[in-house]
Amino acid sequence: MAAPTKKVFEIFVTRVPWTVANREIREYFGQFGTVKRCKLLFDKDTGFHKGFCWIGFATEEGLNNALKKEPHLLEGAKLQVQRNRTSFVDHRSHRDNDDD
Amino acid sequence: MAALLRSARLLKFSPSGVLQVTGTKRSGPLISRFYGGAPGGRRTGVCFRQISPASGNVSSGVWPAALGSVRSYAVATEQNDEPSIAVRSKQAQMFDWALDKLDSSVRRTGRVTKTLLLRIFHDTCRTGYPSGNQALLLLRSCGTLLPEVHMEERTELAHHMWQKLQELGAQYDVSHYNALLKVYLQNEFKFSPTDFLAKMEAANVQPNRVTYQRLITAFCQNGNIEGASTILGFMKSKDLPITEAVFNSLVMGHARAGDMDSAHNILSVMRGAGIEPGPDTYMSLLTSYAEKGDMDSLKKTLEAAENADCSLMDRDLMRIIFTLAKAGHQQHIPEIVERLRHERTYVADAMNMCLSLITQGLEDTALSLLKTFPKMQSNSVSDSPQMGSFFLRHCIDMDTAVEKITSYCKDLEESNLHTAPLVFCLFCALGAKKTEVSLKLMQKMKEQDLPIRPHYFFPLLVPHVKDNNVNGVVDLVKSMQQLGVAPDVDTLSNYILPVFSDLEKARQTLKDAGISLESEGFMFSEVRLLAVKNLAELYALLLNPSVQSLDPHVFLGSLIVGFRKSTDVETMVKITDLLYKNERFYNESDPEAVPYFLYNLIESMSAREVQEQEDKLRTYFNQLHTQNIMISRNIFKGIRNLLESYHVPELIKDVIALVGRDERVPASEIVGNNRVLILETKLAELKAENKPIGPVFKKTIQALCFEENLQRALELKQQHDEEMTASCYATLIQLCCRHNNVEEALNLKREMSRKDSLALDTNKYIALVKVLSMNGRVDDAVEVLMEMREKDVVIDDRHVTMLFHVLNEAKGGAPTIQQLQDTIFTLGLTKPSANLCGPLITAYLDSKDLSGALEAAIECYKRYKCLPRIHDILVGLVDKGDTELLQKAMDFVNQKRGEMIMLYKLFFAFLQTGRYREARKIIETPGLRAMPGRLQWYAEKCIFANEMEALEQMVDATAKLFECDRDEMYSYVLRLCKKRNDWRKAEAMWTKMQEENVIPRERTLLLLADILKSNGKEVPFEVPKTWYRHVEAAQQVEPNTAATPANYDSEYQERVLALCTKGKAKVAYAMLTENLKKGMTLSPMGYDHLIRALLAEGSVEKALAVKYIAEAHLPAFRLSDVAASLFIITQSRKGQAKDALEKFKSMLQADQVPMKLSITRLVQALGKQGDVASIDEVQSLIRGFGISFNLSTMMFTNNKALAHIHNGDLESAVEMLEEIYTSAGSRHPSMAYVFRKVLEDGNDKALDRLSAMADRLANHFACYTPATDLFLQLLDKDKVEDAKLMLARCNVLAEQKEKFVLYMSQKSKSPGQVGRIKALQSLVPDFTEKESLYRYLIKCHALDKDLPAAKALYEQMQAEGVHVDELTLKRLAVLYSNAGEQAPFPEPPESFKFYADKLKQSLSKSQTASEE
Repeated sequence: MAAPTKKVFEIFVTRVPWTVANREIREYFGQFGTVKRCKLLFDKDTGFHKGFCWIGFATEEGLNNALKKEPHLLEGAKLQVQRNRTSFVDHRSHRDNDDD
Repeated sequence: MAALLRSARLLKFSPSGVLQVTGTKRSGPLISRFYGGAPGGRRTGVCFRQISPASGNVSSGVWPAALGSVRSYAVATEQNDEPSIAVRSKQAQMFDWALDKLDSSVRRTGRVTKTLLLRIFHDTCRTGYPSGNQALLLLRSCGTLLPEVHMEERTELAHHMWQKLQELGAQYDVSHYNALLKVYLQNEFKFSPTDFLAKMEAANVQPNRVTYQRLITAFCQNGNIEGASTILGFMKSKDLPITEAVFNSLVMGHARAGDMDSAHNILSVMRGAGIEPGPDTYMSLLTSYAEKGDMDSLKKTLEAAENADCSLMDRDLMRIIFTLAKAGHQQHIPEIVERLRHERTYVADAMNMCLSLITQGLEDTALSLLKTFPKMQSNSVSDSPQMGSFFLRHCIDMDTAVEKITSYCKDLEESNLHTAPLVFCLFCALGAKKTEVSLKLMQKMKEQDLPIRPHYFFPLLVPHVKDNNVNGVVDLVKSMQQLGVAPDVDTLSNYILPVFSDLEKARQTLKDAGISLESEGFMFSEVRLLAVKNLAELYALLLNPSVQSLDPHVFLGSLIVGFRKSTDVETMVKITDLLYKNERFYNESDPEAVPYFLYNLIESMSAREVQEQEDKLRTYFNQLHTQNIMISRNIFKGIRNLLESYHVPELIKDVIALVGRDERVPASEIVGNNRVLILETKLAELKAENKPIGPVFKKTIQALCFEENLQRALELKQQHDEEMTASCYATLIQLCCRHNNVEEALNLKREMSRKDSLALDTNKYIALVKVLSMNGRVDDAVEVLMEMREKDVVIDDRHVTMLFHVLNEAKGGAPTIQQLQDTIFTLGLTKPSANLCGPLITAYLDSKDLSGALEAAIECYKRYKCLPRIHDILVGLVDKGDTELLQKAMDFVNQKRGEMIMLYKLFFAFLQTGRYREARKIIETPGLRAMPGRLQWYAEKCIFANEMEALEQMVDATAKLFECDRDEMYSYVLRLCKKRNDWRKAEAMWTKMQEENVIPRERTLLLLADILKSNGKEVPFEVPKTWYRHVEAAQQVEPNTAATPANYDSEYQERVLALCTKGKAKVAYAMLTENLKKGMTLSPMGYDHLIRALLAEGSVEKALAVKYIAEAHLPAFRLSDVAASLFIITQSRKGQAKDALEKFKSMLQADQVPMKLSITRLVQALGKQGDVASIDEVQSLIRGFGISFNLSTMMFTNNKALAHIHNGDLESAVEMLEEIYTSAGSRHPSMAYVFRKVLEDGNDKALDRLSAMADRLANHFACYTPATDLFLQLLDKDKVEDAKLMLARCNVLAEQKEKFVLYMSQKSKSPGQVGRIKALQSLVPDFTEKESLYRYLIKCHALDKDLPAAKALYEQMQAEGVHVDELTLKRLAVLYSNAGEQAPFPEPPESFKFYADKLKQSLSKSQTASEE
């Protein structure tokens, strides 16, 4: 069990509206702290994303700020934000498109 | 038939019909002549209304016979034509499924979608041999149930289905023709009724009353009164009743013929014939006025309808609106809209009406209807009104002009029916991949300053990328440019560049198309491509100062891929150095980008890769060191852990060199693993340095708790009391509870409360309550419960179950339980239920205190309105003969639940205690009627507990009971007969049923036949033919279908068959090759058996040879389903997955049904070879075949996951599995198979990845199946330590008790599993009760023939005072006697089965206790 020792400050976001993609999500969550990564998966058959994403903040502060805020409104939709309790390692894809 | 022939011909040749009717004006009185003889007009009319959608086989006495003959005709042809009967099994299942699906759609929304209908249709076709029922179901759905489809298209669809199903062998009877007529009428399809009759005649189908009625309607739709009158004539001559429906049609007929007076006059004609005009009559009139736009008459008629007490529903008013709109009288619509009453189903009806209107191109009317929808209560900000969504979606689907759509959008937004209509339209258009509309909509959005983003184009690009369509992609990129959207890097690398063969070509083509390549996206894509393909070129490009500053995150992922492939260490170092030092790439906000990249690089490699590339990596790290590239301690630790897990510790020292001097790495960190030791060392270090130890202390406590080291944890706590935080307390308290250390748990809890007012979580609270009440500390337990209330702890269903166990296991008998139970309820922790009240009654019953039990139950009812275990109390009272108390109980039930329930309860209590005479008296109480639910409850109880006598007595006693379903009652007895395999009793039941004149249902007959057959008895009646009978028959018959050749020798054949059955397939094969030279052959069945026998031995080649021989001799030879399946299995097992797949495909093509096992084996073989695509293919083929093989989709998913893992693509495996578990409505299927295989293969990397996934699913999605699966698989592979860690990470796992019990019971079925059960118990001590744990352990010992262990356990059980049930005693006794020893107790005299059943019964009792 190789658990990475690097601290990660991540949230898991669901109900992401279809109109936004990585850039918008990063922009939105950027207000809480530096966003280190943002992973939003697109369905290869439909071309729409799957409605959930993972966001990693650079600092614990960013994470806490994001968690404190309620509700999270983005383009008229209410995002569901929760803390990502397990390691990010598994979501992190080594393809750049998921992690720009 | 002759009459029919004549009638049709007459119709054809003399359009005016047999009765000369001149002038429509006179048809009124003329018609009245026909009805003179209409029998009981009103009654049949009503009757017709009720049964309207079904065919009219209920009304007159003539028809059943006629219908009967049609039916028997249909059956006869079916029997002549049953080549592939096996298919029927699928079909029967399919039918139920399709029916359910359509039915629920209609019930929910009042409509069916075209997609759903087509899917069911195609499934039916692929299955082949559609049944009459299926055809009827499909045809019926082609009318108004499809509001989203144009009428013409609906009729076309119906025709298409009609023809296709007929080609496939569907037998049509009159019900099908009637259904088709209904569809015609609903779709206003113009057809010739005479031709229709002729068609029926040609098909030898006799029309019935419903057919004539619908034909009349058809004539009337066209205003053809003459035609209608002709048909009326036929009906009259056949003595068919003329119903209200006929008059209603005539109203329409006259109206359409332009004669409103006659139309109106029909109403009085009806009255004259004794039929009151009904709502439908008025509707006929109303729609007629609506067509003409005559609002005055319309309103008058509405009033008349109201006065005649014919209330019109909203649905009817909507039809008037529809008619007005269609006839172009839109101006009158508001008046009708005002009259809508907004009934309960208003929204669903109005939605369907809107859809119909849009389909007809009447969007404006639809919009005005939409505006009448009740406004949604939007109480939160986000649930903004999206009422108009369905409207917009259908407009898009119907290709409504974009200009129109945008104006609707504006309207909807202004009237607050939609917050973002344009965006939603775009979403629909993109989803439907309508490029032109999408682009136009985006243009509109741009005009409104709404943002257009690159990913909006993804759905449009997807199909072109899939087809590799360069032009399509280029066109879209041009459109993007026109809309001012620059393709970003994702768009370029995922949706644009992949269609080009190389970058240069892409650059050229795009340039030629006039597309600007200046966007940074293009450069990013180039960098990414080079990173993967050519590091040297990449380096050159990066060095080029013209390259603007570039966020390395854009291509680090690709760089990892490149680095893993490359052997060019020098360039790797150069690139790393550049990224580390060059200011163009250095990002201040992320100073650790390069070190983290190194971590990711190692992390992305598999253990094997790292091992193989050890030297390359060493050189790389060493050179990085010489370049002064440094990493932090954290990153080092991450990499160290990875290297350790890859078993390449030698590289660690090369990495450690990269850690800066000021960050000295303590020796303990280099050591790695033993967590507790490290933590304790660190704790000591910190303490010595006088630094804060809080976090480390917490971790140490947790680590100790994971290792179940209570003592050491408590010691540590003693030493550092001041560092104890709430979470430390919580962890420790839970550990104490697990170890049943009540004192310590309580102390800790108190200490914690003194320090902190934080709450524990629910599980821990309940665990504490349990441990306290189990140790008789009721007051303390109550205190904890009160605290739970104070802290507002949330209690869900799982916790309620836990509370039930708390009550059940509380020490101190009824008073204790009462106190706990009352506390729980009065505090309002959860709602009182019969289930939770059960333990209290059980306690009284166990102590034989019936009066106490009754008092308690009554008290429960008074306070909580539930009557726990009342049946058991009554049984006890009857048994004891305590009439006084019984009277009291009955009075109480009578008062609270009514006399009927009271009598039933008494009836069952008498039955249960064997007082059958009394029982009979009770059930014969005058006025008592059957309560099927109650009767079933008791019957099931008897069947479960194997109580034949009581059950039979119940069936006897209820013979005269009003409304009692006798067939149902007998089927209960037969079910128990089957369970006991008692054919004599079953046969007696059969006779009894005849005596009683009961007509058994098919299912009952089948059950009876089954029992008789399996006992080798003759079945004294004709067994109903159903599909599953046919399956058996077909398997034997099929090989014989090919013709037997001339020179076939039956003696030779028998010898071959005999050899095959004896397992001497090789000998038989030799004989075959020998005789082949003599020109002797076998029958198809002979060949088939030989092939099967050879395959059973695994001789694929020989089997193939025989197949070729057979094919050479018998051109029509075809492998039987079994043989073909065996081929697949054998080839799969031998790893010849490709061959097996081919075989499988050819089977499906030949309409053969492969065995379930063969599919499983095939998919497993494909999984083993990493062939994901083929698994997908198999899955879709099976789906296409339309059969449910009862294969779990998880079988496919699991093997696909394994295939991905085999290919090293963990990413896809995890992604796919995760999607299964996170998708809404997932039933959380098991993936234990994947874990098992991965563990067996020792693929640690995959295991880590999957395990992390399981953790995540458990923690984030509350989905515990994968974690539980893994946990049990780890146990199964004796990796107890890993399992323990797993439990520590995810302690909710301990709640998955049901699965653990299941695991235990499965394990105990095979020898050598004691260790695993014990390991499970050591990890999750309270997963089951001791009694059941010990029972299974004894069972294991018995299987292992381990008498000493069993003896020891038995002693332990006695010492602990655990009840030893008879089954366990029996097992022990047999174990003793097998070992030649004398058991220290008398061996229970009955059989194992007897005690097993008895045990089951007593267990079920404790379960059914909650029933009442």
